Amino acid sequence: MYRKIIKRSLSNMRDSYLIYILACSFAIGVFGILLSMGGNPSLHEAMGWWDNFIYELSSIMSGLFAFFAFIYMIYVGGFFIQRQKNEFLTFEKLGMPSWVIVTISFFQTAIVQIIAWGSGLLLMVIFQKFMGMLLLYLMRIRINFTTSFDGYTLLTLFKTFFFSTVILSLVNAFKTVRILKKKRRKVNVKTRWWLRIPAGIFGIILLFSAQVFTWALFTDIRMISYSSRPINEILFILLADIFGTYLVYYGFLPTILNLLQKIHAISYSGLNLFSFKYLKERLFQNISILWFVTELSALALALLTFCYFGYQAVHESYNSSYPFELAANKDTVQFIKKELKQTDAKVKGSYKTDVKINLTSYYNKNSSTYTKQPMTFMSYSAYKSLPKRMHKGNSKIKANEFLKIDTPTGLMYRDQESESNYNIEVKGAPMIAKAKSGHAFPYGGSMHFGPMMIVPDKYYQKMPAEVNDAFYGWDFKKGDRLQKSQIERLKHYRDAYYMKVNFKSSLKDSTVEVIKKAPKQYDASVYTQVGYLREGNVKKRFKQGGGFYLYIVALFSVALLIALGSVLTLRILLRDDYQSRQLRTLQKIGIEEKEIKRIILRENTWTFLIPIVFALIQSYTAIAMFDSGRHISKNIILIFAGYIVLYGLFGIISYQVSWRSIKQKFRL
Amino acid sequence: MQIAVKNISKDFGKKKNAVHAIKDITLEVEHGELLGIMGPSGAGKTTLLNMISTNERPDHGQIIIDGLDLTQLHDRDLAKYRRNKMGFIYQSFELLDSLNVKENVILPLALSRANKKVIEERFQYMMNLLNIEKLAQREVDELSLGQRQMVAAARALINKPEILFADEPTGSLDSKSATILLNYMQLINQKEKTTILMATHDAFTASYCTRVVFIKDGVVFSEIINPGNRDKFFEQIINMQRTIGGGNYFNVSQNY
Repeated sequence: MYRKIIKRSLSNMRDSYLIYILACSFAIGVFGILLSMGGNPSLHEAMGWWDNFIYELSSIMSGLFAFFAFIYMIYVGGFFIQRQKNEFLTFEKLGMPSWVIVTISFFQTAIVQIIAWGSGLLLMVIFQKFMGMLLLYLMRIRINFTTSFDGYTLLTLFKTFFFSTVILSLVNAFKTVRILKKKRRKVNVKTRWWLRIPAGIFGIILLFSAQVFTWALFTDIRMISYSSRPINEILFILLADIFGTYLVYYGFLPTILNLLQKIHAISYSGLNLFSFKYLKERLFQNISILWFVTELSALALALLTFCYFGYQAVHESYNSSYPFELAANKDTVQFIKKELKQTDAKVKGSYKTDVKINLTSYYNKNSSTYTKQPMTFMSYSAYKSLPKRMHKGNSKIKANEFLKIDTPTGLMYRDQESESNYNIEVKGAPMIAKAKSGHAFPYGGSMHFGPMMIVPDKYYQKMPAEVNDAFYGWDFKKGDRLQKSQIERLKHYRDAYYMKVNFKSSLKDSTVEVIKKAPKQYDASVYTQVGYLREGNVKKRFKQGGGFYLYIVALFSVALLIALGSVLTLRILLRDDYQSRQLRTLQKIGIEEKEIKRIILRENTWTFLIPIVFALIQSYTAIAMFDSGRHISKNIILIFAGYIVLYGLFGIISYQVSWRSIKQKFRL
Repeated sequence: MQIAVKNISKDFGKKKNAVHAIKDITLEVEHGELLGIMGPSGAGKTTLLNMISTNERPDHGQIIIDGLDLTQLHDRDLAKYRRNKMGFIYQSFELLDSLNVKENVILPLALSRANKKVIEERFQYMMNLLNIEKLAQREVDELSLGQRQMVAAARALINKPEILFADEPTGSLDSKSATILLNYMQLINQKEKTTILMATHDAFTASYCTRVVFIKDGVVFSEIINPGNRDKFFEQIINMQRTIGGGNYFNVSQNY
């Protein structure tokens, strides 16, 4: 008989269990794949320099994934026990001993977990190759990925399966014990106005102050390198958003719904008489779920924004460091040309630009000090004749304007076009009253020992130079093809020359001494001019790292979305008995199918809409942290829109499944 | 004639396990008639009532009400028809737990978007008439079974339906409440010519009807017409119950 009870319960809630099992299978499958990657021989072979990292990375990632998946399973698994509350209480009334009921719930959970693990492991076996190939594709590694599961992976999987199943089953058994002790069939949410309204008002104050602090953060984020203020602001915003949202839900959702209920035009017209109260009851029940989903959605959006800006910053940094595949100066160009002739490299384009090095003095805003240093000068027309990618990241300038290119002070907010530099003194040339800012160095940041200045052609021609130099750059089809021995020889030319600067009180009296040999002692007055710059392995590693990064972010984002969507869908599906019976009653007394469908649609819409609206409001903090508040880039809008579309897709699926289950149950 | 049921049948379950709940029943109900449907448990009373009230579709046959073949109508039109013309008192009450008593009772009027004043007037009238005015603001789960039955009756009657379906309407009521409800049903049947179809086990309740149809194993076994004398009619019903075997002499309401 007990077998029959378990079988019937599984069958009655098959739609909900199917969603739960699919979500769990996905999590288990991904966990298994991540875990098995660590010991995969083809990955070890393909990524030689990653060797030590692969195992550690896959262990950390799979552990992190397993932890969140386990929390999800404990949380969502409890829904099913809650749904069976009336059934368990009836069993007890009929004289079934409590321990039998608890055992039934234990085995029911264990069976569902076994099914989920079975299908999850099947997914792992089927998709390991696909996921491995995807990883290699994203990392631009052209080798075949072989399916492999080592003993350690299988043992870990078995252990995880065993312990997680036992723990989850025990947790649900414990929940059943609590249900049997409480014995309350229908819980009415009490509206304690004296508590809810002040809590709600406090929640609004918190949310409002979070928004005010977000605006402050837009400007204060620049101070992050030397002030704790932005960090404090971020902490406050996080806490205020998390608690504020809960308090607003807790305090105002019932209040607003109750106030609306008093308006007869809304709550007493037609079917609204029922649907309004029904919806109110359902939303009351789901307040903590709505809050949970809101905060996780905000977290997902913030994570995506963070990843986007992080990737973009690294990418830009890489591009500005290596705009040419190979760059040289006038001291090394002959040697490099000679070496290139010995390879079968196909040159796509080559460039040469004359530059002047001169001494400057100006007020440095970042360090709040007067700085004296040599600077490389390039004429406007030379700058413009370089490929577009060289000046894409800089402020646009006209032929008569100046541009100061400097290394960004932080990785996260490199793009500060609106900032200008003032009163830059140049030895033997007129003072530069105002110059725009930029961070993208022509020929790459590493070719320069300090800041660089783009000046109008006339200014350039008339200005004196402490050192005259020229930069050379090459682009190739399929790399420079330099051999290992050639690269070894090139290493001798790493430093072209050294400049020892003798600063006097006046810029006019200061001088630069060029030294060919490396000085015995380096001090702050010695500047090194690099002889050449080569992308080579860096490019390869950058692409591999970027691919791996994309892979992990995509995997976690999809998993988070699936978890959130399924939580909401299951919550909507798992109605209490009396709640679903009411829909059948409506049909009996003459309510049309489309009207009942509308009730389901409304319930779905509100349950999905409320969290995403709050999540979007909160997650723009993430933009404030990275975007400096000037503009919301198109890509961020695209990321948010993509998330909303996928989230909305879950809403639509949830509505369809919900309606299907009602229709099946009542033969509507 | 208002209702014509022609050769309807209904099976539940599939193939080997199929149960023939209704087998080829033909029935006619006049406008303003108070028809009782009696029979032992499992005879098919509720199924027949559900089919006539369009809550279930027959597998075969026709149900014609006011010249309209309801078996040919779309679900959407059936729901509209049900809402506008019919009232229901169910064995299981079918009250909406999310709503309080007042909201449950006025629901049919709210659905037809009646004027607020009309809703209030009709509500007060029904509550006074059925002696349940004190229950107005109570929640459904705070009511006794008898009180639920009276609330369900008030909901069924509030919009003056043309046809009233009642499935064991007095099943959960004490004798006093049962008499109040039955008297009111008789009143609206006589004054407003409301057609009433009532399924019951109880001979006392059935004695309020103008005609009683007996069903056994899914077919019409016999029928008795009220001769105009309730005592005599009651005796006839008891005798027929004995013949069918679904009830016995002791299954008689105490208040008779």
